[in-house]
Amino acid sequence: MSGAFAGRALKHGMDAVSRCSRPQFQRLRTQKPAFKPAVRSFTASTRAWEKKYTEDHEWIELSSDGKTGTIGISTYAAKALGDVVFVELPTLDLEVSAGDSIGAVESVKSASDIMTPVSGKIVEANSVLEDTPGKINKSPEGDGWLAKIEMSDAKEVEKLMDADGYRKFTEEADGH
Amino acid sequence: MHQLTPIPHQVPSIIIGRNQNPWLEVDLNLISQASKPGVLQQIDLVRRRSGGGTVFHDEGNVNWTVIYPSADFTRDKHAEMIVRALRGCGVERARVNERHDIVLDQGDRKADSDPKDTHTSPYTASSDSAARPLKVSGSAYKLTRGRALHHGTCLLSSPNLKFISQCLHSPARPYIKARGVESVSSPVTNIALSNEHFISAVQDQFSKMYDHDRGVEAMPFNDELLEVTEIKRGYEELQSLEWTYLQTPQFTLANSNEVSRPVNIDLTVRHGVVTDASIAPTASDPSLQERTSLNENLVGLTLHKVTNWQDELSDSLKALPSEEGRRFVVDWLSKMLPSIPRSGK
Repeated sequence: MSGAFAGRALKHGMDAVSRCSRPQFQRLRTQKPAFKPAVRSFTASTRAWEKKYTEDHEWIELSSDGKTGTIGISTYAAKALGDVVFVELPTLDLEVSAGDSIGAVESVKSASDIMTPVSGKIVEANSVLEDTPGKINKSPEGDGWLAKIEMSDAKEVEKLMDADGYRKFTEEADGH
Repeated sequence: MHQLTPIPHQVPSIIIGRNQNPWLEVDLNLISQASKPGVLQQIDLVRRRSGGGTVFHDEGNVNWTVIYPSADFTRDKHAEMIVRALRGCGVERARVNERHDIVLDQGDRKADSDPKDTHTSPYTASSDSAARPLKVSGSAYKLTRGRALHHGTCLLSSPNLKFISQCLHSPARPYIKARGVESVSSPVTNIALSNEHFISAVQDQFSKMYDHDRGVEAMPFNDELLEVTEIKRGYEELQSLEWTYLQTPQFTLANSNEVSRPVNIDLTVRHGVVTDASIAPTASDPSLQERTSLNENLVGLTLHKVTNWQDELSDSLKALPSEEGRRFVVDWLSKMLPSIPRSGK
């Protein structure tokens, strides 16, 4: 089963919202994530710092100590959802398992749950989104992050897709 | 697995969206009065799980719900299914509009449009025409892991069209600034079909859409469903006053735009509880001490539990120097934040 905003949903959602043309969107999508750890090319182990993605279209990026991660929704999902008008943030210290709902966004009459990619404890929520929910559309993989989590099992991140794998996943979903 | 559920409505109800404010969307004075014996009829107020704006249900309305895999989610596909059903019942004017609602076009009949085009009808007028389409069905969606829910109302023969707009006009609207979602009001009309006719037409279209050759097997919608623990838990949560009121996004209620006001009132409410309050006379400045005593009394107050503002404020009202000011505060808060009935839930 693919995720909450997966597949053709996104394609049709984009048609309806038409925030940018399809060629534009494909160009956007092929751009590399803005954040690249400086030490990335040194050793294989730093690959764990890469931004990872779920089939539900969330991303997680680990801190340099590898203990906490920042969670948000992908650029692809943000475009499909359309203008976000309200964000429900998780409460601090909330203990969650991978796949649990840690918040929700509302856009164009849709209330959409956001699921955590990993298990752990919520240590910070991006309260800026309470007053400016549109930040999720402007910068879904940057300033529009949703929450930070203290991970209980760092190995869970390894099961997620890297940027390249996620791009292929979304292309396949669009194609079917 | 696709599931279609027509749900009958006995008691007239107002249904607000997941992230809406009941004090802003609904005239709660009508809700409270209607529940008193002998006054109008009982009206229920419910917060649903899907997004979008406030709607009204009664016995002349059929609510439809489709649950299906989120990978196939589009905002229009099932609204289009409903339009095909309506056209099959002879309602040629029906179409899906740009807000994913279903409207009946009111323009002059033009050349036949493509009957398969569910977004244009022969009566579609240009957008600047005075013949505004009338809304008959509104959509809302909930997306979670793996599943999409799309549901909508369909006004068939509601006797309450005037009453609907009255219920959805809150006296507190000019004074509330809210996070979350505000309703977009649209002129509505009845389709003038029987519930049975509409339901069977929708079931036919659903069968066609999903190739159920043997038709749709109707599942009874009754109390047996409540034997499923998860359904029972959700059912009970949706009926609770906590779900309806405490899930309200943060808002402020202030009377600063009221021309004649002896007292300035400014409340901040988060999760249905007052987190900040300022109540002070506009003319003369009372001592800081006095103001503090009244404001502290309000902070921490759960709004929907207040049954009588006079009692709630009681002694702390003495911080206000004039009788006029004290009466103003009690009257104004009683009107904007009326007591919520506990019974009938």
